[in-house]
Amino acid sequence: MIAVFRDLFRYNGEFAIGFMIMVIILGIAAASFFSPYEPIDSYLVAMDAPPSAEYVFGTNSRGQDIFWQLTFAIRNTLAFGFIVALISRILSLAIGLVSGYVGGAVDRVLMSINDTFIVIPLFPLLVLLYFVLRDDMTWFVLALVMAGLGWAYDARLIRSVMISLRTREFTNTSVFSGMSMPRIVTQEHLPYVLPIVFSTFMNNMNWSIGLEVTLAVLGFTDVDTPTIGGMIFWANQHSAMVSGIWWWYFFPTLFVTLTFIGLFLLSISMNEYIDPRSRLDRMGNS
Amino acid sequence: MRSYVIYVGKRVLQFALVVFVGISITFLITHLTPIDPVEHAVAQVSTFGFSSPESIELLRQSLRELYGVGDNLWEEYLVFWQRLATLDFGPSLSAFPTPVSELIGRAIPWTIGLLTVSTILSWFIGNIIGGLAGYYSRNRVLRIIGMIMMGLHPVPYYIVAFVLLIAFTFVLPILPSSGGYEMNMTPGWTLKFIGSVLLHSILPSFSLILVGVGSWFMGMRALVSNIVTDDYVTYASLAGVPERRLVTSYVMRNAFLPQITGLAMSIGAIFNGAVITEQVFGYPGIGRLLVEAVHAADYSLVLGITSIAIIAVSAAVFIIDIIYPLIDPRVQVTQ
Amino acid sequence: MLSRRTFMWLAGTFLATRPALGQVLGGDLPRDQLLILENPEGTIKNAGWFNIWAINAGGQTTGLHQNAMDTFWYIDPDHGINGVWDNSLATEKPIYNKDFTEMTVKLRSGIFWSDGVEFTADDVVFTIETHMKTSGLRWSAPVQVNVAAIEKKSPTEVLFKLKKPNSRFHALFTVRWNAMWMMPKHVFEKVGDVLKFDFNPPVSLGAYTLHNFDRGGKWFIWKKRDDWQRTTVARYGEPGPGYLAYIDPGPPEKRVIEQLNHRLDVIHDLSPEGMFTLAKDSPSSVSWFKGFPYAHPDPTLPSVIFNHRLEKFQNKDVRWALALLIDIKAVSMASYRGAATISAIGVPPTGLYPKYYFEPMEQWLTGFELDTGKRKIKPYDPTVGKQIADMLRPSLKDQIPSDPADIATAFGRGWWKPDPEAATELLQRAGFTKQGERWFQPNGQPFTVKVMVEGDLRPVMTRAGSIIAQQWRRFGIDANIDVAQGTMLDRRGVGDFDTFIGWSVETWGGHPDLSFFLDSWHSQFVVDVGKVQPPRNWQRWAEPRLDKIIEEIRTIDFDDPRGVELGLEYLKLAAAEMPIIPLMAYNVFATMDTTYWTGFPSLATKPYTNPVSNWGNTKYMMVNLKPTKPAK
Repeated sequence: MIAVFRDLFRYNGEFAIGFMIMVIILGIAAASFFSPYEPIDSYLVAMDAPPSAEYVFGTNSRGQDIFWQLTFAIRNTLAFGFIVALISRILSLAIGLVSGYVGGAVDRVLMSINDTFIVIPLFPLLVLLYFVLRDDMTWFVLALVMAGLGWAYDARLIRSVMISLRTREFTNTSVFSGMSMPRIVTQEHLPYVLPIVFSTFMNNMNWSIGLEVTLAVLGFTDVDTPTIGGMIFWANQHSAMVSGIWWWYFFPTLFVTLTFIGLFLLSISMNEYIDPRSRLDRMGNS
Repeated sequence: MRSYVIYVGKRVLQFALVVFVGISITFLITHLTPIDPVEHAVAQVSTFGFSSPESIELLRQSLRELYGVGDNLWEEYLVFWQRLATLDFGPSLSAFPTPVSELIGRAIPWTIGLLTVSTILSWFIGNIIGGLAGYYSRNRVLRIIGMIMMGLHPVPYYIVAFVLLIAFTFVLPILPSSGGYEMNMTPGWTLKFIGSVLLHSILPSFSLILVGVGSWFMGMRALVSNIVTDDYVTYASLAGVPERRLVTSYVMRNAFLPQITGLAMSIGAIFNGAVITEQVFGYPGIGRLLVEAVHAADYSLVLGITSIAIIAVSAAVFIIDIIYPLIDPRVQVTQ
Repeated sequence: MLSRRTFMWLAGTFLATRPALGQVLGGDLPRDQLLILENPEGTIKNAGWFNIWAINAGGQTTGLHQNAMDTFWYIDPDHGINGVWDNSLATEKPIYNKDFTEMTVKLRSGIFWSDGVEFTADDVVFTIETHMKTSGLRWSAPVQVNVAAIEKKSPTEVLFKLKKPNSRFHALFTVRWNAMWMMPKHVFEKVGDVLKFDFNPPVSLGAYTLHNFDRGGKWFIWKKRDDWQRTTVARYGEPGPGYLAYIDPGPPEKRVIEQLNHRLDVIHDLSPEGMFTLAKDSPSSVSWFKGFPYAHPDPTLPSVIFNHRLEKFQNKDVRWALALLIDIKAVSMASYRGAATISAIGVPPTGLYPKYYFEPMEQWLTGFELDTGKRKIKPYDPTVGKQIADMLRPSLKDQIPSDPADIATAFGRGWWKPDPEAATELLQRAGFTKQGERWFQPNGQPFTVKVMVEGDLRPVMTRAGSIIAQQWRRFGIDANIDVAQGTMLDRRGVGDFDTFIGWSVETWGGHPDLSFFLDSWHSQFVVDVGKVQPPRNWQRWAEPRLDKIIEEIRTIDFDDPRGVELGLEYLKLAAAEMPIIPLMAYNVFATMDTTYWTGFPSLATKPYTNPVSNWGNTKYMMVNLKPTKPAK
């Protein structure tokens, strides 16, 4: 594991950059535990102060220090993305494996469900669920809902990989040598599938965070929990753009973009790592 | 041929099933909404104007009769399917008694116009540049373009749209900030009107393209860089096939196939509307209609729009599925 | 780094060099004859529908009810164009018989519909009879509840026979925002089902008629009638603008941008910050107050509204304790950035109400004593308005008035002093206990208070709720905001809330009669939680002493001076019982651009009507507007 990591870091510039960005982001998120302010309290510091030595990222029209707000926002946003990705990966892995391996009627039923999830328009559904659940729609519930909606594409991907693995030579060899099915799947096949899970993990985080920002900006989330989208929501409430408080948008946008780029670089470098051809190509040229 | 007929038959069944389940789920969720369209109308009347309690009670009763809500859910569900067969979604509850189909019909040309054009444009731009970047992977200019595209791709769409709006309507106000065309113009096939529609669509479509090209670019680049190392390309190259022909006929053409699938899916998905685009740029379309319908608990309208979206996406998947074996001989219909 | 000032300077430089976009606006319409107003309804999804009598079907404030509709009387929320009361289609005030079972209306002659047909008593009789026999029209219910019969006495006189005595029946035809509009008989009598008729194009009874509209519902253009002299506003002169455009300009940021670009003459409402930007960067923009707080205070009273059906709010000590924990100065800053007109009593401090109610109450409030169980305190601080003005003066300088009378109009008078100690005593008397840092109810449950707000739909109220919850939280109460965006109206109706920021008090503004909201506060209308409470007693407060006041108001005439005395009794009762915690007026940041038009209403010079563009009363604005540049 450590060797893999060292390899990646040394030969893959994208991984190195992505990794360093994520370390910074996580560092900021961790800083929230040392914040002198409660995240939802307002009118604690001067209003509308531009970035300065005292307030690095400035203060907003609600009398909050944007740096400390941002630490909470990044923490919650990352946690949100992580939970969505984790749960939806478990779902897509389980469904993809079963469907691809068992095949037949089970496969058809699972894939019908899967296709239904693909065609249901996501955004209207989320908005509707917000109305049904109302104040029960905390960010954790939202994470569960999005996880429940975000597995379908990747389950299909995993299924197709499983189908191709099942017909490979080594599967037959294992079967003939008397290995049990669960063992073949976990020991022989999982190593091929896990890299896909990791790379889609990052993509899924990007997807769910982007959607959370959208929903928050439209006011369809719990605005009392500070998130990146929530910060932009409050900035809009105070017409920050036309009153010239640009830093209230700039820093959340900057950091959410950095987070995305970081996650994205990690995801593509993982992809390259698991694709042996491009790996050889890279090593040969360096 | 026979296996193809069976294959198509299976796909038709699959299509019908997915549409049926998808629409049924939306039906159920829309009817779970805690908002009562009648109360919404009552509140709208009484927020301003009279509020005598007796009158309000009478108003409530007569609206309940008029809208025909509060019936048995199961009956409503059956009526809904009966109507859907003729693409009639009944009267809208937030614009009673105007039919839902009329409201959708008025909004949908805008959505189709804006999203088809920007989807196709981003597909072309993304794929061509992506293909070139995959083939000439050492070209510095293409690498920089690639970096920019990939950097933009993950930025939340709302932020991109909002920044464009501020940049081109406030800081440098050269483009209109909202609407589909200039005020007091009468729609028609006149140069002036078409010009105005184009001018108003610049910002919305530009924002969509900016965010959209990234994924096509990356997909195409990856596909092409795989194909480039394939044996047949190497042979063709050694056999002295001119580079231009090599790129277009040998590499790009093969890489385009899976991208066409993606394009069809995206075109199907445009019936979801572009809620944020319409919100930020005040552009007409069904996304905004949908959000308003949800706010007003107008479930006839919500169902109308979501049903169309579900049918469109499923139809796109279905069409790809049945055409694919015909255009790509490598796909075997038995699977 | 880039400071705010540099940023704005950069933006300003760009603005100065921008191409002249304004000229292409409005197609062929001459800009110097066109007034562009915001329609806060936004985009109208069913734009081609002008039958305003059908509920919910199309837009109302697209210019339709402001400029194409008319009815008997108008009450102004401010001083009025010719006094607060205006006889519009009627020539005099309503004439009731002695026991309020009959109302006679004398009609103006020489008023014509825009298609050239004269308006007569036949139209009135038709309108009423149509509502009597058709259910589900906007005014069907109040007509069916009240009217037994209507008789045409002459072409200019009608007699309403009522089912039971009602001294306020004329309110149905008295415009405050809107009222029951008259239908053109000659159009509607040919229609089969009135509920399904779109009335497109509308036949107008006002000074403007429909010129063009967007099928997508983004703009509606009205043209001045050639025969504007045959409409009721002609008594005050010729309307200035040749054309009116009611548009959907988008969210507050965009409205600011559009006015800076001189493409939006009248903004309906803004965020406070957006207002300050215009006040600073747009020299041509004017508002109701010349300086701070700019806004027009609408005659509604945003308050903390308790759910009296919940046990924890049934004791008035608890309600008072929560009131004494609010620092109104911080609420004013957080919600309106100081641009609020505060009120300690149960009517809004707007229009002529300072004279009718606030001045007479001031002395009583100053002497008002509250028993905390341990001692008596005088909670009223008459200087809060002045304190807010003093707090803002260093940053806003001469924008802030210094004359005490001006301060009272702009910022309000006094409010309750924050007094955590008294709040503790009150809560303890009510059986609440503090354990550690947290308060517990007498039943042992933690004292939680949810403050319901509407989120994006009412940003200023959301901001007020957010700071009030914070103030309660600091005291050890588990208080949080509860964002009910889009579901607020439903939850308010069925009583699914602890408290919310909203209003259950709305008044005429210019006229002291309180029946407009108070009648519905009678305990006879209170229903259980779960059933829908009729507007406006959302707090479900049932109080026998209040019922007596309401019952007496019902028996006296609209203009009876006894009405003000009863109103003062209500105010004293509401102060002692604290059924809701009044906060301030609903300040609306209506902003007018004087680049093309002058003569907008303003408090200092011409308080003739409410400039808030969705009010039906804004028809009086049109006759006062004059082009800045005389026509060529």
